[in-house]
Amino acid sequence: MDFDDSPDEAGYRAHVRSTLEQHADELLRLAPGQEAVDARTQEAEMRRTQRVLHDAGLVGVTWPREYGGQGGTLLQQSIVGQELARFRVPALINHIGMGMCGPTVIAHGSQDQRDRYLARLLRADDVWCQLFSEPASGSDLAALRTTAVRDGDDWVVNGQKVWTTLAHVSDYGILLTRTDPERPKHAGLTMFVVDMHAPGVTVRPLRQMGGQSDFNEVFFDDVRIPDSERLGEPGEGWRVALTTLMNERVTIGGAGSAIGAPVEEFARHARERLPLLDPERQVLARQAVGRAVVAALGARYTGYRRLTTLSQGGIPGPEASAGKLAGTEAAHLMADAGVRLLGDDAVYAATADGDDRWQRTQSWLPGISIAGGTDQVLRNILGERVLGLPAEPRLDKTAAFSQGRPDGGRR
Amino acid sequence: MNFDLDDDQRDIASGARDFFRGSASPAAARAGLEGGALEPGRKALADIGFLGITVPESAGGSGRPLLDLAVVAEQGGAVLAAPSLVTAARAAVLLADVPDLAARLADGSTAFAVLDGSVDGSAPSVDAAEATTFLGLDGRSFVVGEGEVVPGRPLDATRGLASVRMTSRRVLVEDAGDLWARARQVGAVVMAAEDLGGADRCVQVGVSYAQEREAFGRRIGSYQAVKHMLVDAWVGVEQLRSLVWWAAWAADGNPAELPLAASAAKACAATTFERAASTLIQVHGGIGFTWEHDAHLYWRRAKVDRLLLGDEAEHLDAVARLAVSGALGA
Repeated sequence: MDFDDSPDEAGYRAHVRSTLEQHADELLRLAPGQEAVDARTQEAEMRRTQRVLHDAGLVGVTWPREYGGQGGTLLQQSIVGQELARFRVPALINHIGMGMCGPTVIAHGSQDQRDRYLARLLRADDVWCQLFSEPASGSDLAALRTTAVRDGDDWVVNGQKVWTTLAHVSDYGILLTRTDPERPKHAGLTMFVVDMHAPGVTVRPLRQMGGQSDFNEVFFDDVRIPDSERLGEPGEGWRVALTTLMNERVTIGGAGSAIGAPVEEFARHARERLPLLDPERQVLARQAVGRAVVAALGARYTGYRRLTTLSQGGIPGPEASAGKLAGTEAAHLMADAGVRLLGDDAVYAATADGDDRWQRTQSWLPGISIAGGTDQVLRNILGERVLGLPAEPRLDKTAAFSQGRPDGGRR
Repeated sequence: MNFDLDDDQRDIASGARDFFRGSASPAAARAGLEGGALEPGRKALADIGFLGITVPESAGGSGRPLLDLAVVAEQGGAVLAAPSLVTAARAAVLLADVPDLAARLADGSTAFAVLDGSVDGSAPSVDAAEATTFLGLDGRSFVVGEGEVVPGRPLDATRGLASVRMTSRRVLVEDAGDLWARARQVGAVVMAAEDLGGADRCVQVGVSYAQEREAFGRRIGSYQAVKHMLVDAWVGVEQLRSLVWWAAWAADGNPAELPLAASAAKACAATTFERAASTLIQVHGGIGFTWEHDAHLYWRRAKVDRLLLGDEAEHLDAVARLAVSGALGA
């Protein structure tokens, strides 16, 4: 057990730091207190930042070299992540492409698709999104209704997706469709790569509860997709989607990276704000601060344990869901204490001097408890696949999707 | 970075599991409530070398890092073993420069207890009920001596709690404030490790029952209300395990981190074990509320441990103060 860098890791970290210094002028960086950037207004800078980092060898660290990656280790990837955060470089614009879409193309795409897409994805020449959720199927993803119907060498797609992060700046997406409604729900699905600039694709921004617009609804009206853009066999879409979802849960909070603000930033905030509270309030506030720090450290070190397992050749499994669950809980505790430390300003959307970090985090976190597996779905996964508890009886798995709801209700 | 036990530590854990399973049990903890002897008892713990894990080799111990003791303590906690390795861990720190006493700690020839609070009337202290030699803080001085023992009616007999008034005292170290504080932090880490073992066992037993017990025509573990309760307890155990290992490693690997890590682990242990034990009872329903069932013995341990060596509120306050004053490197 050792939390310090090995000599190899220390050397790699030094290399990453000097590379970042060397390219400092070309990178989009966060101002102090700024939590995120906006892909709507800063798309060009975000694309350039990823391209510069890619060309400097800091993107796709663990990806195979044949697809434009560096063929490196998970620990190196983790070091790059830490150093990018330290250098205040925001999340890369293609984080969904790298975290979910790319691994799905690697696992299930044709050689031609891998050759055409992956290197460009890493360089942010193309930005990618993930077209899964629909208005009537969120957690119950396999109940989706967007259809793809074979027509000669093409498939014709109709339907609507929703909660599609980055669709408004995306060039491609992975799209899960229903191709056979006469088969049971999980068996009638097929995955495609869709060109987001194709005729019939309409992207409309959605506004989140906090006021920002990071995600979209996407409409498909007779969109034609060549059969060569299929990922996996027809009817195998669910298996392909599970690759995406497993990678998603590793990406969100699976390996020691914080969800929301890092605990160090939270501690700095507490240092500034605690002394401004009434003495009696300080006692109570320290309880909340301590609780949040303990949760954040527990999530961080549990992530380090996972990272160690994975870097020794372990396979990412369902345990990753625990990382997201614990990281989300810690983020909620920190955001709640972070806002309450603002005293009277806690009831406003920003402090008097315009700082809205903690309020913004507070209004963003309800989405994190939903995205990438709701807290409740993750508990089912952990209960059934890690603890070995029996699944709930299901009536919806065997009947043809077109037969309607098993309880007799209309679909 | 490498955050995992090494092969030696896995072997130690596995050996400790076998030893404790053969020498202690919740049944013994139940008997203890009605006057039965503590199991495995001080002598057996000394004979297998567990009391001396962190005692220097020159004093007859193994001179191993705290992490080794923590992985052993986890296995002891799983079967509610007594006396507590907290006492051995804490006394080993205090007696580091007192080889004759350290040797008697390691070989079990003397029954030590470390007193919390005043030496003229201590707070309830772990393993004091059966101890004959007491270690205390008298003003700023670390003292050893005999004492008059006043046990209360036990909520958890395995903790051997009693208040003590020291009747003789010899100063071992003047100005021992820092030494005393460090020993208490080490004790908190080992108690958190014992609690980790207990909490983990609660989740295992609860899961097994939920896999078998049927109600309303199906196994109760299939109901999300039951499943999610067990998952939350399990996720808590996994967080606690990380904090315990980190804190135990820090004691030797990065001592500057120990105060933060020890308080984080102890605060987390208090709520995690309580939740796991309450969940164990709830998942079992009526049978879990009986004297015959083991659930209440874990629940008792959790209810007592959460208040010993600083309660959750004290440790949360310590974590907050340390984090705010830059202990995270922020």
